Amino acid sequence: MNRATPRLRALVALPFVLALAVHLLLFARWRDELPAELATHFSVGGEADGWTGRTAYIVVSTALFLGLAAGWTAFVRRRYLWAAWATAGFAGGLLVQLLRANRVDEFEVQVFSPGMDLGVALAVAAVAGGAGWALGSLVPEEPPAAGRGPAAAGPRLPLGSGETARWSKDTGSRTLTVLAALALAAAPVTLLVVSWPDALLGLLGLVIGVPGLALARVRVTVDRHGLTVRSALASRPRVRVPLDGVEGASVREIDAVTDFGGWGYRVRAHRTGVVLRSGEALVVRRDGGREFAVTVPDARTAAALLNTLAERHGKV
Amino acid sequence: MLFRVDPASSVPLGDQIAACVRGALADGSAEPGERLPAARELADSLGVNVHTVLRGYQRLREEGLIELRRGRGAVIVPGVAAPDRARLVSRLREAAAEARELGLTEAEFLELARTSLG
Repeated sequence: MNRATPRLRALVALPFVLALAVHLLLFARWRDELPAELATHFSVGGEADGWTGRTAYIVVSTALFLGLAAGWTAFVRRRYLWAAWATAGFAGGLLVQLLRANRVDEFEVQVFSPGMDLGVALAVAAVAGGAGWALGSLVPEEPPAAGRGPAAAGPRLPLGSGETARWSKDTGSRTLTVLAALALAAAPVTLLVVSWPDALLGLLGLVIGVPGLALARVRVTVDRHGLTVRSALASRPRVRVPLDGVEGASVREIDAVTDFGGWGYRVRAHRTGVVLRSGEALVVRRDGGREFAVTVPDARTAAALLNTLAERHGKV
Repeated sequence: MLFRVDPASSVPLGDQIAACVRGALADGSAEPGERLPAARELADSLGVNVHTVLRGYQRLREEGLIELRRGRGAVIVPGVAAPDRARLVSRLREAAAEARELGLTEAEFLELARTSLG
């Protein structure tokens, strides 16, 4: 659950409202100097190569601010308040620079200097981020929810004081393996059989097959670094929950469809998961109340060791 | 598979690692044909030297419980007999330790083993 207070949400929305207001104000003020078609896209060299009508521009830019504000307000946490401000500062700075670049006489080319104008936007973002960071002190610390912390109930694996331990298990999904292999095989076949440029669609097979195969078999490890889930074939990509971030681990029966809406690397509002099948899963409660789940056999041993290591880590 | 090592124990760390694999094989938490973690990875997890892990793996190979292949790493020998073999090796090691405590020499112990074979 996101426990952001109304005050935090207001402080997050504020910079976007400010940026939107400044942007609209400047647009109104410079209205007579702006061309009917605003340059909105520039080549690497900085010359305009894409244009948008005034009305469309103002609708899209306003929607951008509102969309960013909505996204940040919904998901923000106290310690990321500065990032919301920096985002608003960057977006605002960029669009104002864009307006400024469009204030040119007729027949003159609109020019956007990547170095200069992006630099200004970044500077605005830095200042806004600093302001947001300072404002963070206005928001009270998020109170820890009851019953959490490493001391919470959960299985334990007794270890001697100097004893170290590691648990790992490979787990996978045959279905995913087969599907990913098929997608991979389709790529060269399409490239050979189908005429160009349609054959480029075959590259989709690679786009689906490579990450699919990487995820179809994963290694789950619990050791002094925390919980690590990575492809069994390569050391990346991987997901790691360090011991610092572990509030407690438990075992739960997971249904891939009803709990996570499918298989693979799943992201839900307050939980993420590597879900390769339905059944026994190791569920880690992370600091901040989010959950990370991975379906793996023998999850009880993993949870017990993770609880023990996290508890010991907290003591040291 | 669960590995645990205790530097405070009198048992050498490599032997502790080997005992973990034997135990896991015997109780079913590791299966014949399963790949063991790469030595470097396991050493990093447990905070021990790579050579310590390799010493443990080498011992398991001598006991016929794993295969070490260049490029493929350490794999538990396939076949249904592997868990039983792991249990047998564990009991033999216990017997050897007991004999040492009783003060038997190596020759005496081997003689005893030969006699038991009938």
